[in-house]
Amino acid sequence: MTMPIESPNAPKRRPPPKNGKDFQMKVVIDALSAALQGDLSVRIRADGLPGEAGEVAALTNQVLEKLSRRLEDSEHRKQSIAQEIDHALDGLIALVRQGDLSRWNSTTEDPLLGPLLEGFGKVVETLRTFVREINEAALRLSSSANEVLAASTQHETSSTEQAAAIHETTATMEELKHASAQIAENAGAVARVAEETLGAARAGRGAIGEFIQAMQQIRSDGVAVADSIAKLSKRVERIGTVVEVIDEIADRSDLLALNAALEGSRAGEAGKGFSIVAAEMRRLAENVLDSTKEIKNLITEIREATAAAAGAADASKRATEGGEKLGAVAAQAVEGILAGVQETSDAARVINLATQQQRTATEQVVASMAEIEDVTRQTTQASKQATGAAAELTQLAGRLAELIKRFKAD
Amino acid sequence: MSPSPLKEALSAAPDAPVAAGARPEREYFCFRIGELSMGVPSENVREVIRPGPLTALPRAAPFLIGVTGHRGEVLPVIDLLRFLGKGESRVGPRSRLFVGLAENFSAALVTDAVAGLRKVARQDILPAPMGGDAGAEHVLGVVHRKGEPSLTLLNLAKLLGSARQRAVVR
Repeated sequence: MTMPIESPNAPKRRPPPKNGKDFQMKVVIDALSAALQGDLSVRIRADGLPGEAGEVAALTNQVLEKLSRRLEDSEHRKQSIAQEIDHALDGLIALVRQGDLSRWNSTTEDPLLGPLLEGFGKVVETLRTFVREINEAALRLSSSANEVLAASTQHETSSTEQAAAIHETTATMEELKHASAQIAENAGAVARVAEETLGAARAGRGAIGEFIQAMQQIRSDGVAVADSIAKLSKRVERIGTVVEVIDEIADRSDLLALNAALEGSRAGEAGKGFSIVAAEMRRLAENVLDSTKEIKNLITEIREATAAAAGAADASKRATEGGEKLGAVAAQAVEGILAGVQETSDAARVINLATQQQRTATEQVVASMAEIEDVTRQTTQASKQATGAAAELTQLAGRLAELIKRFKAD
Repeated sequence: MSPSPLKEALSAAPDAPVAAGARPEREYFCFRIGELSMGVPSENVREVIRPGPLTALPRAAPFLIGVTGHRGEVLPVIDLLRFLGKGESRVGPRSRLFVGLAENFSAALVTDAVAGLRKVARQDILPAPMGGDAGAEHVLGVVHRKGEPSLTLLNLAKLLGSARQRAVVR
């Protein structure tokens, strides 16, 4: 069919209808119907049309022209907006898939799209700030958690060591308790022994006093003995003198009797009896001489014995003097011993009391140490828990840092 | 009461006539000098004295050991041991001198101890051993006694005579 319509590229002017007015209107209606169906390129050939119909055709062509142009502009704008939206979508996809906030830089000059992208840009900027701050905070948290873990571990170690030390201390205090009990017992024994020693030393002092008295008695007795011996010696000397006199007399008597016998012999028969008497006298004198000799021997023996006795008495005197001195020294020593033992006894008593107090105190300390040990055990337990928690915290901090790393802010 | 020794001796003594008749005996003055026991007839002995101060005589015979005074009389003192050549005696406080008599001559003789007067029966006296020493000429005889050294009896008168002679000769 032939239509008096022209395409823009090959504009064909519809040939003017052959039958007047109807034909003219038909061309315009066709053109408008084509435009209505979307083909804005149709034009009406107005050159063949007269009058008013030509004007309508020209106006219609002008409208179509204007509509076509508008449609082209609109298409152009639509394409550019689609491009910008694609760009923005790429940025959003990168944000969602990779957490990359750095690729958001979409801009537009479209007055309608601009505020939206600007709003998105602000949101992304806010997110960037958040990510930066969270990243920083996660790093800090990680290092702090590490420090906490280290501190907690150290605390746990210290706590364990402390528990061990306290255990050891408790054991030592137990030993100390036993030792102080032993010491208290020993101190009691020492006090008892010191008391006994004190009694013995007092007895010894009394005995030494008696000893000294006995020695003094012995010395005075010895002096008396020495006096007696001296007197005896003098008496014996006197006896010796007397015996000498007797000896002399007996000797003279012997001589006289001998001469008397001689006289009697010279007198012959008449002097015979006289001679016999003289002989008898002489025998008596000889007996006396024998006796005096014996007495002299005895006196010599007595003299020797008395000399020995005097020597013995002298030695005894010296020995008793030595004994007295020794007794005095012993008495002094015993006094010293008494004083020392008294001090020892007092000191032992004090030690006994002190050790009893010490034992009580040690027992209290042992009880306290048991409590401390209990508390330390709890502390160690808590410390272990804290270490576990700190380790978990460190892990969580690491995990958080890992998570935050997925968001790229710059 | 036991009788005194004197009474015992008197009762034990034999009657004089009986003794004289049965056993002719002589009384001797017995003494000891050194190891020797000697006796001289008692009629030749005047008395016994203690040794007094002795004065030595120069150039005298060795047996004449000095002189001593006794009751105003000066007596020569003779050591018999030296005289008889039997050693020498020492004069001490226990020594005794007896005054011997020969005719009208007297001398003191040294003894260590005087035993006393002793009667010796004549038949108990044995003759001096022949061929003896130089002093044998003055010996009257020897008496042997049980348990004691034998008693040599001297002729004092002869001894004193020869002593005086020897002293003078010298």
